[in-house]
Amino acid sequence: MGKKTNIIFIFILALGAYAYPQSIREKTFDIIHAELGKDVKIESSKFTIPPEIKNKVEHEAGQAFYSDAVYIFKIAERDSVISIGILDNVYGKSLPMTFIVLYSTNGEVLSTSVVKYREPYGGGVRLKSWNDQFKGKNSKSGFKIGKDIDSISGATISVRSLTKGIKKLTLLFEVIKDNL
Amino acid sequence: MKNFYNISLMLATIFVCNILGFAQEDYFVPKTTLGGYGELHYNYVKNGNAKSTRTLDFHRFVLFFAHSWSEKWSLKSEVEIEHNLIEGGDKGAVELEQAYLNYQASDAFGVQVGVILPSVGLINEFHEPPVFMGVERPEYDTYIIPTTWFGNGAAVYGNVKGFDYKFTVMEGLKGDNFKAGSGIREGRQEGFKSDASDLLYNARLDYLNIPGLKIGASFTYNNATGDSVNNQVKLFETHAKYLADNIYAAFEYGNISFDEGNIKSSEGYYFDLGYNVADIVKTSSQIIPFVRYTDYNTASSTRSGGDIEKMYHFSKWMVGISFKPVGSVVLKADYSERTRELGSVKTKLFNLGAGYMF
Repeated sequence: MGKKTNIIFIFILALGAYAYPQSIREKTFDIIHAELGKDVKIESSKFTIPPEIKNKVEHEAGQAFYSDAVYIFKIAERDSVISIGILDNVYGKSLPMTFIVLYSTNGEVLSTSVVKYREPYGGGVRLKSWNDQFKGKNSKSGFKIGKDIDSISGATISVRSLTKGIKKLTLLFEVIKDNL
Repeated sequence: MKNFYNISLMLATIFVCNILGFAQEDYFVPKTTLGGYGELHYNYVKNGNAKSTRTLDFHRFVLFFAHSWSEKWSLKSEVEIEHNLIEGGDKGAVELEQAYLNYQASDAFGVQVGVILPSVGLINEFHEPPVFMGVERPEYDTYIIPTTWFGNGAAVYGNVKGFDYKFTVMEGLKGDNFKAGSGIREGRQEGFKSDASDLLYNARLDYLNIPGLKIGASFTYNNATGDSVNNQVKLFETHAKYLADNIYAAFEYGNISFDEGNIKSSEGYYFDLGYNVADIVKTSSQIIPFVRYTDYNTASSTRSGGDIEKMYHFSKWMVGISFKPVGSVVLKADYSERTRELGSVKTKLFNLGAGYMF
């Protein structure tokens, strides 16, 4: 390929990168590889939540879903599924936060991560040390802030919203895990 | 022809790669949102031998209005009604405390332009009633840090590996309005047709990597505008807050130095220590009894010396309780005894409050 073509290639790539700045998908894959190893195979799909399940989970978690669908990631090692990830959004003070929760196949939280944070304040919820508090939780665990989950100074709303969001996905996973 | 083929192939590849990525609109839709906070206070004050006063005051009613055009571009605003009624004289106020365009380029870098808050201390940027102890804001955050401190300007901010920074350039202070009894507070222009002759610079760095802890410091410099002579002001403050294991702990210390006028410096600090006893009393609500000690002096050193350095020197013990039936609603009570150094004048204060945020 000629120099000119290369330049055009880089330009278009840059344009693509700008339109989809390290896409949510890429970041999500990076997080999954960092948590579960470089060699795992990831298969993703969009999952539309059945209305009756959606209502029940929303009621129990005390928070509405961002939309009617979430993204599901099946993560396999040597052809057996070792983890399921669910990617979703919750609102912070005024903008959505995109986050992923990785579960063991029996519904225990392996890790939680903020994939994209869009607010000027409250970014403390991205910290690994805060997210590590959710490890080992399941649909029967407590998610109360101040008791089960520590708050973050300057991130009150983000902490509250994300904690409910993680609880919500954990309740959802418990209901849908056998059908995935 | 070969080049055309190559380019077509690449375009096709990029197109396919992009559509395989999730549609961004699943993760972001432009939206207008509303939030806010408010607080009703009952204040009982018994000053020395004077007759006591009792006041009921819906101190603040605030609405946050925000709109996002894209993931990166948004508007944030905060409109406040203070003391319920606005009329001439010394009645309440309507304030536009925040109204800025926000550009969030990445986690590490963002820009704000408009009416903004300098990043000084724990309370100025985070002043919703459920996030601090005591019915009224700590006196330190009135007399040393003049919260809510807002004005016209621009800021850059970001978070890199748990270090959170903000650098603000905004309207300066009016040096002629500084007072021995209120430090720099009356010098704020509050965004009203601000005199931009001498801008204020503020830089803050916080460290967030220790779970539950926020610890940081800020430095603010302004060559405050005066009619005949400017007054160089330097404000250094440090702050820490710990929220984990049911513990609530907060600390702030600040010092302001003045190059001109009688006041050479203002200084103060406070610390809060509270504990959420919900587990002990077996309730799902948060119940946080706390103690506070504060000491502040807006004229801690002066060029004239003498009684003025004792006149505005106060120390105060407070005990109180915050009850949060849900995380965003708080009922508060506190009792405190304040002593003025000059004449050892004692004041007893009792406050009740109800506050919320959403």
